[in-house]
This record gives sequence, C-alpha cells and structure tokens, in this order.
Amino acid sequence: MTLRFGYGTNGFANHRLADALDVIAELGYTGVALTLDHAHLDPYAPDVKDQVARTARLLAERELAVVVETGARYLLDPRRKHAPTFLHDDAHRRVDFLKRAVDIAAELGAEAVSCWAGVRPAHVSPDVAWQLLAEGCAEVTGHAAERGVALGFEPEPGMLVETLADWQRLRELVGEHLKLTLDIGHCRANEPLDVADCVRLAGPHLVNVQIDDMRRGVHEHLEFGAGEIDFPPVLRALAETGYTGLVAVELPRHSHAAPDVAARSLSFLRAAQWLGDALDRLESDPAAIATLLPAARRGVGRAAAEDARVRLLHAAGPDRDEAAELYRYGDNDEKRAVLLACPAPDLVRDALRSNDTRLVAAALGPGARDLPDAEWRQGVLKSVFMGLPLSGVAGLDQRADAELGRMLAALHHERTAAGRTMPADAVELMERLH
Amino acid sequence: MRIFDPHIHMTSRTTDDYERMAAAGVRALVEPAFWLGQPRTNPGSFTDYFDALIGWEPFRASQYGIRHHCTIALNPKEANDPRCREVLPLLPRYLAKDRVVAVGETGYDSMTPEEDEVFAAQLQLAREHGLPALVHTPHRDKVTGTRRSLDVVKESGIDPGLVVLDHLNEPTVGEVAGTGCWMGFSIYPDTKMSPERMVAILREYGLERVLVNSAADWGKSDPLLTLRTGEAMLAAGFSADDVDRVLWRNPVEFYGQSGRLDLDDDSAAEATFAGNSILRGGS
Repeated sequence: MTLRFGYGTNGFANHRLADALDVIAELGYTGVALTLDHAHLDPYAPDVKDQVARTARLLAERELAVVVETGARYLLDPRRKHAPTFLHDDAHRRVDFLKRAVDIAAELGAEAVSCWAGVRPAHVSPDVAWQLLAEGCAEVTGHAAERGVALGFEPEPGMLVETLADWQRLRELVGEHLKLTLDIGHCRANEPLDVADCVRLAGPHLVNVQIDDMRRGVHEHLEFGAGEIDFPPVLRALAETGYTGLVAVELPRHSHAAPDVAARSLSFLRAAQWLGDALDRLESDPAAIATLLPAARRGVGRAAAEDARVRLLHAAGPDRDEAAELYRYGDNDEKRAVLLACPAPDLVRDALRSNDTRLVAAALGPGARDLPDAEWRQGVLKSVFMGLPLSGVAGLDQRADAELGRMLAALHHERTAAGRTMPADAVELMERLH
Repeated sequence: MRIFDPHIHMTSRTTDDYERMAAAGVRALVEPAFWLGQPRTNPGSFTDYFDALIGWEPFRASQYGIRHHCTIALNPKEANDPRCREVLPLLPRYLAKDRVVAVGETGYDSMTPEEDEVFAAQLQLAREHGLPALVHTPHRDKVTGTRRSLDVVKESGIDPGLVVLDHLNEPTVGEVAGTGCWMGFSIYPDTKMSPERMVAILREYGLERVLVNSAADWGKSDPLLTLRTGEAMLAAGFSADDVDRVLWRNPVEFYGQSGRLDLDDDSAAEATFAGNSILRGGS
C-alpha cells in the first residue's frame, strides 16, 4: 500500500498560508499538517469563520488532505512558549483552544486533531499533573467525539506524556476515544524499542503520523539523513499496520529553506518507501532481485542507487550462480554493485579485463582478496595505468610486494622515457617497495 | 522541427546517420529489439544484442545529443526457432532496465502456433512490468495478421492504449482505428509508406494515436523520412503544431506511459562508455 505523505505548515512559517499550500501541493504532497497559528488560520481572529472557509477552499482547490496541529508556540501567551498547557493553573484556556481546533477541523474535514500534554511545572506534583491532564483530555476528547473528529494525542520528549507507555497510561484514564499521534523522530530520541517496532506497537491506535529524523536522546527535528533512523523498514512497518492517514514531515525549524527542504524530503520518503517495499519483497521472494536490481535507480534516484543496490544484494543473499547471473545481465552500475556486495574471483577477473574505471576500482576492493598474487598485481598495475587512486585498493599495504614494486618501476621508466608522469601515490608505493 | 523517431534500428546505422538525424531535428528515439537480417541460433546472441541496446547504443546516440531508448522482446520471426525461444525466461531481467520503454517487437510473422504462444506470453510480460507493447504486423497476409493481432491484444487484457500496431498501411489502418490501440506507420523509400501516402492517411484518420517512424535498419531505408513526412505535412497545409504533435508529442505520450523516458536536458553526455569512445585514432 502506498503511504500518503504530507508536510507540516509549521515548516513554512515564513510563507503566507496560501503560498505554502501552493508549494506543498506542487511538489506532490498529498496533504498538510496545518498548525493553527497567528499567521496561519488564527482561531482567535475576528474573521476566523471567513478564514476557515477560505482555507477549506484553498485545500479543496489543491486537492490537499489536512490534519490540524495545535503546537503553536506563542498563540495563547506571547511570553511563555506553549503556555498554558493542560498542567497550568489556567488550563481552561488550553482546553478552549483545543475545542476551537476541533471545531475548525470539523469545518475543514480534517482527518485528525493533534495535541500534547505539556511540561509538568515544578510546583505541580506528578499525581496532580496526571489528574489535571486526564480531566482536560476527557473534556476535549468528549467534544471531539461529538463533532466526529479523531483526536490524536502525541507523546513529546520532555513532556508529562513522552513515551508510548505514558500514552497508554493516559488512555486508561481517558478512555478509548483518545487516539494516537506518533512522531517517528521521537521514537528514535526516547523510546526503548526500535523505531519500526514502535510503529507496529502504535499501529492500531494511529490517527496521525509526523515524520522527521532524530538522534538518540536529542529532541531535535532533523532533515532526513541527518539523524540516525533507517527509514525503509519504518515506512514498511507503517504500511503494514494498515494506517491510511497522512504521514506529514515535521521540520518546524527549517522554514528559512522550506521549499528546498520540502522537495528533498519528499524525494527521500519516496525512495525510502521503494527500498522498504523492495527489501520486504526479497524476504519472501529472493529471486525478485533479478528485476529489483536494475530498477533501483528509478526507485531511489541516481545518487542513492549504488547503496540501495548493495543493500538489496545483501538482503537477497544470492548464491554464487545467481550472483554470476546478476553480474552477467547487469549493466555496469549493477555489475559494480555485485562486485561490492558479493564478489567472486571470476567476476573480479571479468571486471579487471574491462576499460571501465568504476568496475576496475570496485574489483580491487575486498573482492580481490581471493585473486592469486600475479593477477592481483596486474590489477593494481592496471588501476595505476588508468589513473585510479591506490587508496581504493583493499589490503594494499599487506599485499604489496617486491614484484609489484618492480612492475611499478618498469611503468615509471616507460612513462619517464615518454616524457609522462606517474601518479604520486604510485611513485610513493614504488619507492617504498624498492 | 523536433522529432522523436519511435522506431529505428540504430545498431545497423553509422555515426553519419546520427549526425544527419541530429541536424534534421531528431532529439530522441526508440530502438525496438528485432532480428538482425540473419538468424540467431542461441539466447546468448540475443542478450549480447540487448546489452548493446541498453549500453553502447545509448552512448553512441548521446554523442550527438540524441536520447536513445529501446524495447525488448523475442521477435516473431525468431520465435519459431526453439533455440531462440530460450531467451524468453531472460526477458524480465531486461524489461526492468531504465531505458527499456516497451515490450517489442512482438506480433506475427507467419502466424504460426509458436508465434501465437510467444506473442501472448509477451503481452503478459508487458502487463506484469507496466510497459507498453510494440506489435509488428506481418509483411505477408497483412490484413489477416492485423485482425488476428487485435484479437490477441483483446484476449490478453492489456489496456489498448498501451499497444501500438506498427507498419500499418491503407488496407490495415481502418482495422486499428477505433480499437483504442495506437497506429504506427513506417515510412520507407520504396515499400510500406511514403510521406505523401502518410499525409493522405493523416487527412482521413486525424492525428490522434498516430506514430510515424522511419524503421530504418540494415536494409534500404532512410532515417530522415520522419523529417520528410513533417515537410510533406506542412506542404499539404498541416500546421507546425500538427507536425509537432505527430513527430514529437504523440511518441512522448505513448512511450511516456512506461515512466522511463529520459528527455531532460540536464544530463550531459559522458565522454566514454565503459572506458571506450566512438573516436577513432584519438583513443
């Protein structure tokens, strides 16, 4: 099943809402996670009714789905970030805001409204905090149920409810109308389980998903690739839960470069989804490598294709014969991946016979270990001849011998006679071996 | 005039042809896998040929700024040789390659049971790989062959909009018009179609779902007959936009259904293919 990707408007804080929706729709996103904020559909504006109607029209014209997010920083209090929360003395203002958000979501036809607990103030004991939270949540949940809107409660690092286990505790207090918003990045930052396992655990309760990269123990929303999450299995796990809602990119600190970041993010997610599906298919059907290997560039893009191919090969674990077939019927990009992932002496020999520098370089990686010395020396000499850097030759220092030194000296002599030079790294090796 | 030749066998043409084609406005082409004028006797010679269609030939074309794509199949003529049919299990590996934009040429040569079987099997491959199919209509008993091809297409369940019946002429075009399949016409110096006859067909049947190609190969043929057809269209009162539709937008629409056309201007040609160039004497 194909996931539906969206983008959070809090990552477009420097755009007018209409402009943000234009860019997000043009890039190919299916929907938006709309953070109600002073510049993006202010629920306290005198003309809020008109704003809601206009936003509904903008979304419909662009065929964008929507979820409503309520994490605006200074919407309720210009001095205290995120205040008041469920846990403050004036929590009724938070409850009022969330009810308004539910009403707006109903008008917009939003798929969910999201909210969170807030950080426990020092003067509020844990028991009291949980009681306040449960009461406030029950009121908002009841209102959402009346309006037919799904309420997704989001665990946030540092807040009273910061893990899936905390969320489970709250749900026992509030009841089953309380659903779940999951931020994939948070799972990496502070859940005990692996991210894909978190997704499987959360699956039955999900009404909203945010996605971003993150590092262990650090609550910082990062662009994909800048953190530690391996996304292909995560997206695969998400699809397998049967979740059909939006998976919206959550990068609230990247507004300064929003259009570029949003474009890169969608490419990344599509590639990760392709790779996740492909890896999953190989688990049940390893022979599918024959068609997945050539299709990889279309699936993940040129820059990521080689890493993806090597990963697919490791997952498929072709035997010697199948590896030889993949090499035989592969184009030179596929051949290179086979040399890197599952080399065999015959394949390495074939690559060393070619004039393709990329194949020769790959052949002299760890796959060259099993070549007899004479062939290995010829390979190294050829790579010097072709101008390849010796740094790519695996185990060079252990294996280079006097005979290789003699061959390099002969090449050097020939080059000198012709008035040509030999690469500096080769000269250095030659001198070391003499 | 920008030209997309949707059917030309560049393997048998020289670099002079590439140079003339580029000068005439040919910017992209599709090279269907076919027979080579002399029978092959084993699957290995097919796969070496396929390797050239996805490797060396796109490189040669790129040296002249032309985007090369290909189609892959066991052709109807050689489908009759059991030694060649062994290539069928290898086709999926090639149908997954980047620049392969259709299954083809498939269809009929002599309408044998073997051809029936291979044709039907290859239409299923097209469905499995989400690719269009290029159907060669026979040189002999063409009307019967065209009707029978349409029946096989219908039975296969493939979307007719993903199928082109090629090498049509006056007696066969009426069979295909109205079926939802695309209509391909090969313009040859003496046989098949001439530019003037093509213009008459366009007048009668319109421009929709029409592909015009040179089908130039190792025989007497001319890769510039696409250009000549465009010129004949203009002379007959068709607009420049009509010509662009037939010679560029139609083939882009048909083969674009593969999702694999590469027509971006940003990928510069490599200087060598696997370390080898088309230069002689220099490297």
